[in-house]
Amino acid sequence: MKRRESQETVPYGEIDTTAILDRKPLGDVVLEVHGLTHWFGDVCVLDGVDLTMREGEVVGLIGPGGVGKSVFVKLCCGLLVPDAGEIHILGKDLLALDDKERQELRTRVGLVFQNYALFDFMTVGDNVAFPMRQRGQASEAEIAAKVQERLSEVDLPKVQHLMPNELSGGMKKRVGLARANINDPEFIFFDDPTAGLDPVTSSKIFNLVRRTQEQRNSTCLVISHDIDRMRPVCDRYVLLYDARVRFQGTEQDAMASSDPIVHEFFRAGMVGRA
Amino acid sequence: MKLLAMIGRTCLGAAETVGGITIVFARILRAMFPPRFDRDETWLNLYKVGVKSYPIVIMTAMFTGAIMVIQSGQYVKQTGATGLLGWGAGYAVLAEIGPVLIGLMFSGRVGANNTAELGTMKVTEQLDALRALAIDPINHLVVPRFLSMMVMLLLLTALGDLFALIGGALTSELILEVDYRVFFHGVFEGHLLDEYFTGLCKAASFGASISVISCFYGLNVSGGATGVGRAVNQCVVTSAIGIFVWDYLITYLAN
Ligand SMILES: Nc1ncnc2c1ncn2[C@@H]1O[C@H](COP(=O)(O)OP(=O)(O)OP(=O)(O)O)[C@@H](O)[C@H]1O
Ligand SMILES: [Mg+2]
Repeated sequence: MKRRESQETVPYGEIDTTAILDRKPLGDVVLEVHGLTHWFGDVCVLDGVDLTMREGEVVGLIGPGGVGKSVFVKLCCGLLVPDAGEIHILGKDLLALDDKERQELRTRVGLVFQNYALFDFMTVGDNVAFPMRQRGQASEAEIAAKVQERLSEVDLPKVQHLMPNELSGGMKKRVGLARANINDPEFIFFDDPTAGLDPVTSSKIFNLVRRTQEQRNSTCLVISHDIDRMRPVCDRYVLLYDARVRFQGTEQDAMASSDPIVHEFFRAGMVGRA
Repeated sequence: MKLLAMIGRTCLGAAETVGGITIVFARILRAMFPPRFDRDETWLNLYKVGVKSYPIVIMTAMFTGAIMVIQSGQYVKQTGATGLLGWGAGYAVLAEIGPVLIGLMFSGRVGANNTAELGTMKVTEQLDALRALAIDPINHLVVPRFLSMMVMLLLLTALGDLFALIGGALTSELILEVDYRVFFHGVFEGHLLDEYFTGLCKAASFGASISVISCFYGLNVSGGATGVGRAVNQCVVTSAIGIFVWDYLITYLAN
């Protein structure tokens, strides 16, 4: 996707913040992304993306495949460095942090990778325990209890001793979820947490997202193509399209929007890219 | 014109590689002072690198010692200067052939393995996952590998030296019918301590360069399985070049 020549403004993107703020009390701004731009070679993947999220909010990030959702999340976690733009997360300016501060920040942020990224040289139990063990603040008994709890939450109480390559795709996904959750992060990015899962498990995972949010008041950004199942979980949606934010708002806002692309997304789920 | 462009590209590529390797090395040093690396991982790697490599090192060394003796055997037999046998073999093996051959074996065995491992972790996003979990891959993966490869190549070369001499002694006894005591007498009377330490010095620097080079290629893999294959290939070639450059420098300085 080449950078768009015309800088036409998109009239569909206004956020109706009052509607969101009315629905439930939200805390401080915890993620503020401004003018985020990223190129791979001469391809512009993100072109001036803005996003603001408040504490306790669950936002669904949707968009066609290959639009740059995963890249967006990696930028927000500091795994990639943007070509332009600002990222403030949990009150820190991500791009201005030194190594130590970034490390510190990352213990407060969780990320579920789209393609699992489990450590294939350790067992599932060690994978989930790893972030906690590395922090060195808990005893082995505490760690074991927490690992068991997190794995039970994702319906995998009996796989601790297996190696990641002995699991199915959907099981790996859920282990990744348990691992990202183990340190009780304040902010969690879920990159397609239900890809490759059966409908029942998908619903369970989305319930887990909701429950995590409710119990710990953590803030969640959920990428998914499964708008039907996101509905009970997400407070609001952001539609990335053609390297930009095409729409932000609730489902009602989407239905009221006059943008055919927004309609298409919310009515029929996914559309392929033209 | 085409030739010029090709030379230019090659030089640029080489400069980029050397620059990248230097950066990895600098980051390793920074993680070691003050020490911030993972101790458990270091022990694990010392074990993995050392225990898995010693059979092949012993075999390489014994053959090397034996070949040195056979090479000089003809001359020694003609002149009857059997005392030279141990000195000649010891000199060549301790200072030069031993460290270089063991280093080359080590780069093919451990260095390539290391690049493949790190490269696979890179393409399957495991390195990103480490970083996302607030763990620096340099502290957790690279420094332990650096330390264990340096220490283990040093120890393996010391071990290899011993077995090279044993191989030489056996060969002189069995094939040249020169008593093994005569052989060892030649070694010890030859005042080869300097050569021995030069050899160990070489081994340590080979270990360091193999580990930095293999980590550099592993961390910079792009593009899936073919990318990993290419990186392993480049790692082995560059490690060999590194070994010869260090060998040249240290030999020059030691003489
Ligand atoms: N390392 C990379 N090098 C070059 N291009 C890349 C790289 N990573 C991603 N891209 C490109 O960036 C674009 C966005 O990729 P991204 O993975 O963010 O898509 P996505 O929105 O997450 O898609 P999906 O819904 O399929 O997961 C793609 O067009 C892809 O080709
Ligand atoms: Mg993606």
